[in-house]
Amino acid sequence: MHKLSNKKRLFIFLLLGVAIYFISGAVDELRVYQGATIAVYVVGIASIILLTGYSGQVSLGQGALLGVGGYAAALSRIHFNAPIWICFAIAILTAAFAGALLGIAAARLSGPYLAGTTLALAVGLPSIANQFGFLGGEQGLLFDVGFPPLSLGEDFTQYKWFFWIASLATLIAIFWLQNVMRSRYGRSWKAVRGNDVAAELAGINLTRNKTLAFTLSAGLAGLSGALLAMTIGTVSPSAFPLALSFSLLTGAVLSGVTTLGGVIIGAVTLVAIPDIAGAVASRFGSSEAVTNNLPGLLVSTLLILTVLFVPNGPVEQLRARREHRVNK
Amino acid sequence: MTRMNRRTLISASAVLAVAALTAATVPAQAAEVGVTNSEIKLGMTLPMTGTASPGYNKIPGAMKAYFDYLNANGGVNGRKITLKVEDDQYVPTQAVAKTNKLILQDKVMALISPLGTANNKAVAASVNPARRGVPVLFVNTGFSGFADTKKYPTTYTILPSYVMEAKIMAEYIKDNFAGKTLGLVYQDDDFGTDALKGFTQAGINFAVKVPYASGSQGAATAAGWVTKLSAAKADVVILFGVSSATAAGLGTAAALKYAPQWILGSVGGDATTIKAAGVPAGVLYNAVGASFAPATTDMTDEYVKLFSDIYAKAVPGSAFDNNVLIGMNSAFVAAQAIKAAGTNPTRKSLMDAIDAKGASFASAALLPLNYSKTSHIGYSGYWFGKYSPTGDLKPVDGKYVLYTTDSGSGAVVKSTWKRPAMPAKGLPQ
Repeated sequence: MHKLSNKKRLFIFLLLGVAIYFISGAVDELRVYQGATIAVYVVGIASIILLTGYSGQVSLGQGALLGVGGYAAALSRIHFNAPIWICFAIAILTAAFAGALLGIAAARLSGPYLAGTTLALAVGLPSIANQFGFLGGEQGLLFDVGFPPLSLGEDFTQYKWFFWIASLATLIAIFWLQNVMRSRYGRSWKAVRGNDVAAELAGINLTRNKTLAFTLSAGLAGLSGALLAMTIGTVSPSAFPLALSFSLLTGAVLSGVTTLGGVIIGAVTLVAIPDIAGAVASRFGSSEAVTNNLPGLLVSTLLILTVLFVPNGPVEQLRARREHRVNK
Repeated sequence: MTRMNRRTLISASAVLAVAALTAATVPAQAAEVGVTNSEIKLGMTLPMTGTASPGYNKIPGAMKAYFDYLNANGGVNGRKITLKVEDDQYVPTQAVAKTNKLILQDKVMALISPLGTANNKAVAASVNPARRGVPVLFVNTGFSGFADTKKYPTTYTILPSYVMEAKIMAEYIKDNFAGKTLGLVYQDDDFGTDALKGFTQAGINFAVKVPYASGSQGAATAAGWVTKLSAAKADVVILFGVSSATAAGLGTAAALKYAPQWILGSVGGDATTIKAAGVPAGVLYNAVGASFAPATTDMTDEYVKLFSDIYAKAVPGSAFDNNVLIGMNSAFVAAQAIKAAGTNPTRKSLMDAIDAKGASFASAALLPLNYSKTSHIGYSGYWFGKYSPTGDLKPVDGKYVLYTTDSGSGAVVKSTWKRPAMPAKGLPQ
């Protein structure tokens, strides 16, 4: 397969950055806000692709790790008044640490047992906030990244500021992730995913390999959680429900769980579906019950169609078809 | 290199496409956002689906029923009031996303009756309606923080705060259960902390206090509460939690044959919701409950009569319960506020009108509204009653005894306030 050199990739990422800069100036505030949400999802979904698609471990509890990151960022902001970049760094490190602990356990588990463990985490972890006063209970904590710098102009909105921060963080994270995937680690993850016995025979340490994947994936999830906390201005147990974990997993399947290339597809779908559902429902003057349940129905339908027709995701499918044609 | 050029082209055209799409949708500006010559748009977010939705998901239907009735009777100054409802699933992320949609895309004039403390906090922090000058009318939470008019200048609460409720409950206990051994079950967050503050201020001593973590309330946890409560021989137990906690406490205690005198906080005291959780109405019988609205079964009450008639026609087959009554009442108060905001209402004139005249607005509640320039708290008191064998909260001996107080250190007093007659046909005058 033809691969781009690092320089060219960096150029593409810079180009994307410039494109995002211009988009943020051209669209209205709602789209800017949604753009920030897409960035949050991109990082969250990427963390699942790294874990599931590359290292072959299933996590139904990614939402809990987002929660760890969100709370870490909020707490470091509240108690140490840390600059936002430091908050994000702390979020990544804290979640990665939690992920390492989880990874040690996870390396001994597989299949349904691992799914069950991570699911329990998603259910249980957020309610810990209710046990300790400093976590703010059900009402949660504020996470205020502050107003955009005045040098950006008077009418520079808060959401545009969020969008910039989230997009930049996402671009850096994805670029970094691509590099990891192309490294020795990425190759050994793929080897383990393909056949763990063969990989072990080839000299790959399975436990260390899996734990590392969990740690890095959790770090990304932590970043996603901190970005999420920034866009909604707070962290609370209900911001990281089980449904969030499932949404991210859905996004990963829609994107194609084995390649990073389609990661934006899942993120855009998750953000756009409620809008599309709303438009459909109002066009047909549907009843309340239909309007309320249509988003869930659409996502489920898409999920089923994806699994049926493009199980590896649209991007992977396209590439496979192109390669098939070239090889013929 | 060809491959890269193609990519560059694709991203560039994507940028152009998005820009073109969004630039094309700039509507003509009216005098005020959400107000035209024929319509005033309001928006709300609340859980319509998901675990927190039962009971609360009737509120939009109730509010729409009232607005439809109002619109059929000429609306407000010739304008129809329409309500845009968005499902937030009780998740702050969704609440923020949907509120952004209501304000930025649907361009509503004001938000009305958004529900839940965590959601409202997230919306206040992220969407920041105050900075945008968007009124947030009658939020459905008793968290006393929202009464801070400096922090939330555009927010108006409607429920009494939890501190007030606890102070008032303490007074009721002193009046009716003096000398009894008291137990308390409460949620260990701001909700419960506010309540504890109120009880402490009123000098109530509990023999046993059982905190529970929100989300943990279920039969298994509730069995633990019952053990602690019965070990302390509590004769009177206050369940100051959400509906699911109330239901778990009542149901488990009944199964374990523990039957103290129950007192239910207003948040978790809606009989329909408790019964929907599988608690038989008989278990509720004789429990003490609190409300500021008249009993929903009291057909001699002119508001209950009119509102239940309107609701029965609009949503046939749906029970007229406390959530419905309070929803319709909020819609009725909002209609008066819009009317008082003048012939060409703006967001600012709407809030000015509530500040200036809100205290004199008619409402179904048995207590007056307290809006002023310095106070954005709606009602300031409760009456206590007992649940009937069918699970309806009714005043003891058919007589409403009303208590009022403030969120601070003010005393609890019995209110002698008489609700004025309902405006003709229940329409804003």
